[in-house]
Formats: sequence, structure tokens, C-alpha cells
Amino acid sequence: MHQLTRLPATDFGSPHGVTKQAQWARLLWHISYYFAVPIGLLVIGLIVWALVRYRERPGKERTPAQFQYHIPIEAAYTIIPLVVVAIIFGFMFNAENKQGAVSPTPAVKITVDGFQWGWRFVYPNGHVQVGTGNYNNINDNNGLPVLVMPANETVQLHVVSLDVVHTFYVPAFLYNRDLIPGVDNTFDVNVLKPGLYPGQCNNICGQYHAYMRFLVDVMPPAQYKAWYASQPSCSVTTAGVQGTQPGRCTNETPGLSHT
Amino acid sequence: MKVESRVILGAFIFLTCLCGVYWGAVAVHGHASERSGIAMLVFSFSAYFLLGSYLLLQWKRRHGVPRPEDRFDATQDDGAGVIDYFPSASIWPAGLGLGAIFFGMALVWGLWYAYIGGVLAIGSIIGWVTESDYTMDVLPGIDPDEVELGHDVASGATRPHYHTDVDHSLSEEVVHPHHH
Amino acid sequence: MDVVPGPRPRGLVKYITSTDHKQIGLNYIVTALIAFVVAGAMAEVMRTQLIVPDNHFVTPNVYNQMFTMHGTIMLFVFVGPLGFAGFGNYLVPLMIGAPDMAFPRFNNLSYWLYLGGFSLLVLSFATNNGAAEFGWFGYAPLTEAIRSPGPGADMWLVGVGLTGFSGIFSAVNIITTIFTLRAPGMVMFRMPIYVWNVLVTMFLVLLAFPVLTSAFALLWIDRHLGGQFFDVTHGGQPILWQNMFWFFGHPEVYIIALPFFGVVTEVIATMSKKPVFGYKGMIGATLSIGALSMGVWAHHMYTTGAVLLPFFAAMSLLIAVPTGIKFFNWIGTMWRGTLVLNTAMLFSIGFLLQFLFGGITGVILAQPVLDFQLHNTYFVVAHFHYVIMGLVMGAFSGLYYWYPKMTGRKMNETLGMISFALMLIGFNLTFFPQHTLGLRGMPRRIEVYNAGMGWNFLNLLSSVGAYVTGIGVVVTVVNMWRSLRRGEIAGDNPWDGQTLEWACSSPPPDHNFEALPPIRSERPVWDANHPDLLTKVGH
Repeated sequence: MHQLTRLPATDFGSPHGVTKQAQWARLLWHISYYFAVPIGLLVIGLIVWALVRYRERPGKERTPAQFQYHIPIEAAYTIIPLVVVAIIFGFMFNAENKQGAVSPTPAVKITVDGFQWGWRFVYPNGHVQVGTGNYNNINDNNGLPVLVMPANETVQLHVVSLDVVHTFYVPAFLYNRDLIPGVDNTFDVNVLKPGLYPGQCNNICGQYHAYMRFLVDVMPPAQYKAWYASQPSCSVTTAGVQGTQPGRCTNETPGLSHT
Repeated sequence: MKVESRVILGAFIFLTCLCGVYWGAVAVHGHASERSGIAMLVFSFSAYFLLGSYLLLQWKRRHGVPRPEDRFDATQDDGAGVIDYFPSASIWPAGLGLGAIFFGMALVWGLWYAYIGGVLAIGSIIGWVTESDYTMDVLPGIDPDEVELGHDVASGATRPHYHTDVDHSLSEEVVHPHHH
Repeated sequence: MDVVPGPRPRGLVKYITSTDHKQIGLNYIVTALIAFVVAGAMAEVMRTQLIVPDNHFVTPNVYNQMFTMHGTIMLFVFVGPLGFAGFGNYLVPLMIGAPDMAFPRFNNLSYWLYLGGFSLLVLSFATNNGAAEFGWFGYAPLTEAIRSPGPGADMWLVGVGLTGFSGIFSAVNIITTIFTLRAPGMVMFRMPIYVWNVLVTMFLVLLAFPVLTSAFALLWIDRHLGGQFFDVTHGGQPILWQNMFWFFGHPEVYIIALPFFGVVTEVIATMSKKPVFGYKGMIGATLSIGALSMGVWAHHMYTTGAVLLPFFAAMSLLIAVPTGIKFFNWIGTMWRGTLVLNTAMLFSIGFLLQFLFGGITGVILAQPVLDFQLHNTYFVVAHFHYVIMGLVMGAFSGLYYWYPKMTGRKMNETLGMISFALMLIGFNLTFFPQHTLGLRGMPRRIEVYNAGMGWNFLNLLSSVGAYVTGIGVVVTVVNMWRSLRRGEIAGDNPWDGQTLEWACSSPPPDHNFEALPPIRSERPVWDANHPDLLTKVGH
């Protein structure tokens, strides 16, 4: 688990995402760093220079200069940052449009329901993967609900809250999306690399918020097809319990929720 | 008053434009819930308009005669005289504050607190207001010897003068030619 | 001087009944510092809980109460009111040459509402379900009565509401004071930058706090009168809360920041023995920040999928520009000056460094695509703590700078430098690792975490840093207490100050000024003391 979940910390500290959509985040990290690092160093350099060069030294009396305005310099440090943020905005605008695109013909559509404090993943044939974390042991990964999806295909996730505000967050996807009652949220992911990725609710949702975790099991397409075919329609897999239990198609809250 | 009103009216114009752009963009691409943001922006620029136009009106009423604090060349003598009345210590704000806190507690624990808060607040407001009347009577041309101690005595502050050997005849032209 | 003195009570009665802006300002400052220590202790509890992965130092509920009240008290009771009501009350009349605030009794009332709000927030821990535990921005519908029962949440509403009213009253008072009580010759464009910044802050308060109070009223109606504003099953909209809260919440960021921008501007100018570089540009930047800050609220809501991303991204990126202008103006103020590197100046430098980093990560977070990655992770926690800890540095800078004016004595420089060093090291040790934690996917507001995520060592580092910071803060608190009696006598103008507060005695008398120097530039005291070193004209 340790090796699996530890994200590669490169790219100026930001991990690479495993989805096609994450390339846009990566691009923006690069753009941001190209501007932020030189500007940051310049400002720190000027501050340090001023501190060293102009500090008061006993025995070396200097008359402090009493200038107040320098219009060309002031104009420069107004206009140049404007240009910089305009460039950043340009890249961002393009990236955001590309990343946010929702396919009219996704390969798989899955509904993600969040509730206090667990997840329910509903597949097109009515199959349900559901579960909550183990409130007594945060290190217990066996009981977590599992979101199964194919790699290299467009998976459309429809995220719905059954009670309070939650956030669907998979660090490896470099992506957060809120589950808000009354707001309909749909987004696409194309995972490029099969694997087991941890996910977690990322918005305070009550007492056991920290335990509201899940796993994303991304399978090669053929393996996914086989898995999907083996799930009877309207069956329920409760996390932590091996095998498929009989179930019924339902839209009700999964009994684990409200107090 | 001129600068003050321009600053506020500038903010009003900016927020009005901002609201217009946002409204248009929301109409094309926005989410239904974003109408709340439009409503809040409308209230915001309206508030600025209220204040900015009031200040502009005050400025117009002066027919272009600036106050001493609006003149670059004003001396302390230009503002000579009593500035305002400044009440000294008073218990009524604390009473009214306590009343307001009790009102707040009524929102948590029930109406009984509001009765206590009401008594405190009304009593304090009466005390506060009558105290104000008293000071208003006393102040113009006040003779401190005639004021009874034990009552709240308001004080009027007058403009202080600066006595120094240094020559302060710094002319406006020398120091800030870019001011007009 | 022709002042008719009223009877000034002494002792406890003085603290309760005073209408003197200086006394009320001191009341605010002391209360705010108590709030800082209280909420800081909560932070230490949180860092102790997170020091190892599966810790059970406190229960989940207690942890949730801790981060909720830490955020609430720090923002509503400490850093905001300290800047605009504490320093604001004390300094604004002095800096513009006024004898007092425009509404002295109203001013006293503001303080009592503020103290009442703070008291209710603290007392809410003593109720049967404990304090509020839904985070300082309290997203509905978690805040509805069935999910957050008990008086704790109501006390949170009322406590914050009272501080909000206090802020609105202060705003009315300070704006009126600045508009009507300036000394002759103190035109708007000669006011110290601090006064300008407080003025803009007060306008933001006037626009922002009523929205917050309205949102609170709606929530209270939901909780007690069966309203359904935020209940989706009856046609309400939880997202409405987020829009209203952040419409307050983003101006709030500048409400807490602008006064301290002003503080460091004053400190840097005085300690460099120079006029503020680009004075008018600085005012323009402040006004731009004030205007733009009304249009960026939804950048806290990028991941809701219910806001217009390009609009808010553009506004959020744009607001970085005036902030950048301020940075270069601060550097320009130091340029070719004579820098006195005492504790006040060091804290201002600390502010520059911390805030620079917080600003850069702010530009990163302003981009929706990157925010989708970083939203609500520890990267965000690191970002805003760099910003706010920068402001705390600014606050401490102000305390060391104006303490002599307020008490007549200087604080101890050695203790001050020790405090600065501990705080600088502690801050960075606490919050720098949190950037990496966020990049590695650690969500905020969790009290336990899986040991296999690669978060363990960085959390340990962060907790150690929190303890170091705590010691640094205690050193300054001890220094303040100790210097009241043992500090070096300061005199009227110990730093060769430039603005009007240094023209009166330390501490200033009732109604402030024995005499005023002629006001011919934005630094009349400097002009009077250094007629040979007037501001150079031209560019």
C-alpha cells in the first residue's frame, strides 16, 4: 500500500496525475513556475540587497535619500505584472476549457453518491459498490468502498450528495469535485495507468469526516469488462465483505447514513 | 469632501461595471445560483452610490469653498475654534452593549433573555440620549467653572497650535509641486 | 490648549466607561492578543493530535471544535479587529490630528459587542454538545439543526454576529472620523498610508459584514423557525450559503490584510528614514485591492461546479497586480535609505518574506485547474497561513513600533529579536512542509490519517514548528508585560517617526495634542525635525 499510494514527488514538487485531464494541471504548474520563481527570486534578492547595502552602520553615517516617485519604474512594475497575469490567464482559460470538457458519449457512466460517512458507486446495470470506513482504525483499508473503472477509456462520473456537502477527491487524479445537494456535477476522467488509488472526502462533513475514504481500482479495459459482466444487475457489494450479495435497485440512502 | 466623494463614487462606478459584466456573463454561461451574487453586487454598488452622492451633495453645498482639512495650504489657525463635542466617560454604552448581548443570548436560549436585554437596552438608550441633550445644552460657549462635577461633562477640543523655533514656512511649491 | 476636561474615572470603571479612543484601542489590542493566545493554544492541540498518524489525543468531535473555533476566533476576534479596531482606534485620530473619534460613546459600544461576541464563542465550549464543529465557513446543510444540534452552533452564530455588528459600528465611526476630523492641511492625499488602508478596510467591512449577518439570520431561521433556505428537500439551496458566506469571506481576507499592509508601510518608512516610495501608487493599489476584492468571492468555490470560472479566475489573478505594486513600493522605500534593523523593522521584513510566499501560492490557487488539484488540501492551509502569519508578523511589528507611544516605554530589544527568530523559524517549519503534504494529497480538517500515505514525517516536522512558534509568541507576550514597568523610557518620538502620532507625548494626553506642527506633506513630524531633509521633488 505504501509504495502504491506514495505519489512521485517531482515536477517542482507537484506529482504527475494519472489521468489524461491532469496534463492541463501539469502545464499550468510549469507556466506558474516559469513566472513565479524568477519574480520571487527577484523580490527576495532586492529585499536582501537593500538590507545588506543600506543597513545603518555605526561610524559610517549616510544621508538617507529622500526621493519619493519614479514614474517609469512604477509604471514598469504595474504593467509587467499585468502582462504576466494576462499570459497566465490565457493558458489557464484554454486548459480549463479542455479539462472541463464533458463527452456526450462516455464509455462508462458511474454515479458517485456521498453520504455521512461513506460512498456508494452505482453502475449502469444497477450494480452498487458501497461502504464506509472503519471508524476504529484509520489504517484498515480492507473495509473501504471500491470504485472500479477501466483505464484508457472515458469514464463519466456523476457526483451526488445524499446529505451534506462532500468532495470527491482522488489525489492521483489531481482533481476535486464537490457533492452539493441541489447542484448537479458531472465530469470525465481518462485514467492512463491501471492501479489502485486512494481517495477521500475533502470537505468537512461531520464527526467521521477523516474516515470517509475509498479506493479507486483502475483495471485494464478487458479486465474491467470481465469484472462488470460478472456483477449481476442490481447486486450490491458491501465493502469489506467478499463476494457479491443479492440486492435491489434502489435510490434510497443506504441505511448507513443518517443518525 | 471632493476627494472623499470621488473615491466612493469611483468605487460605485467600478462595482456597477463589475456587476454588469458579471450579470452578462452569468446570463450566457452561469449557474442559476449565481443570481445571488448579482443581487449582492447590486446592493453593494447601491450602498456606495448612497454614500458617494451624499458626500458629493455636501461638497456642492459648500459652493467650492474647501474645508481647512481639504486645503493644502491651511494652517492650524484656519481651523481655530471648537472642533466638536467629545463626551467623556459614560456607562450607557456598556449598558446598551450588555443589553445587545442578552438579545443575542435570547437567540440561543429563548425569549427570557430578550426581556432582560430589552430592559437594559431601553434604559441605556434613555440614559445615553438624555446625557447627550445635557451636553448639547452646556457646550456652546461653555464655562467649565459652571459645570457641576458628578454629571457627565462633555469636552470640546479646540485646535492646538505648534510652537517651535524651526521655520515651517515650507511653501507648497517647493515640497509638492505636483499637488495643485 | 483649550480643552474642557471631563471627569476621567480610574481603575476598572475607567476600562468600562472610557470614551477615549486610546483607552478603547488598548482594550481592543489586549483582548485581541488574549484571543490570539486562546486560538493559538487550539492550534497546538491540533498539531499535537496530528503529530503521529493514528493519534487519539482528542476525539474527532473535539478536534472539529478546535479547528472551527481556531479559525473563527483568529479571524473574527484576533487578526481583523486588532488591525482595524485595535491599532485603528488608537492610531487613526492621532495620525490625522484629531482629538478623538467622531462618536466616542458609540466606539465604546463597539468594544462591548466585540467582547460579548468573543465571550460567547469561548463559552460555547462549556455547553453540553460543545462548540461549533463544522469549520469556520460552516457550509450548510451540515449546520442545520438536525446535523448540528445544541447551543454551540447558535452561540457561534450569535458570537460572530456580535463581532460583525461591532465591526460595522467601528467602520461607521472610523470613516466619519477620517472624513470630518482631520486637522487643517491634512488633506486626503497627505494621510499616512495606514489611515488610507484602514479607510478602505472600513468600506469593505460596511459591504461585507451585513451580507454575513444576513446569511446568519437565514441560518438561524432555518435552525429555529423551520425555515428552508438551505434545505434542498424543501426547495432550499445550500449553495446560496456558500455564495453569501464568501461574498463576505473574500473581502474579509483584505479586511484583515490591509491594516497590516499599512502598519508595515509606516514601520518601513520610519526605519528607513525615508518617505513612502510611490505614495500615490500605494494608495491606488489599496483602492484597487478594495475594489477588486468585491469580485473574487467564488474563487473559494471553484470545485462546486456552480460558478463562472473564467470571470473569477481573471479577477483573482488581477488582484495580484496591486499587491505586487505594494511589494515594489516597500522595496523602493528601503532603497538608498538608512535601515535601522530593530525588532519592529525585522518583523516587517518577516512580513515581506512570509507574505511574498503566500502571494505566489495565491496566484497558483487562483487558477481553477490547479485549484481542482489543491482545493481543501494542506497546500491551501499552507498558503493562507503564510498570508496570515505574514500579517501576524506585521501585527507584532506594529506592537514593537507603537508600544512606546502607548505606554511611554520601549519593549526589550533582545527579547524581541529572540521572539522574532523563534517565530520566523517556527512559522516556516510549521507551514512549509504543509505545501508538500497538500501536493501529496492530505486533506485539511482530518484528525487521523492513514500511515501509508507518506505524510508522517512532514506532519511531525510541522508539529515541532508549531511548538517553536508558540514559544516565540510567549516571549513577546512576556516582553510586553515586563516592559510595562521595566522598559526603557521612550520619550515622545523614539524612532524619529514621521507621522503625527509622534508629535504628542507618550502616552498622549486626553484629546491628544498639545500642539500640531504645520502639515505640508504626509510626514509633518519629519518635516519639522529635519527641515534639511525634505522629500525630493521630481522623479
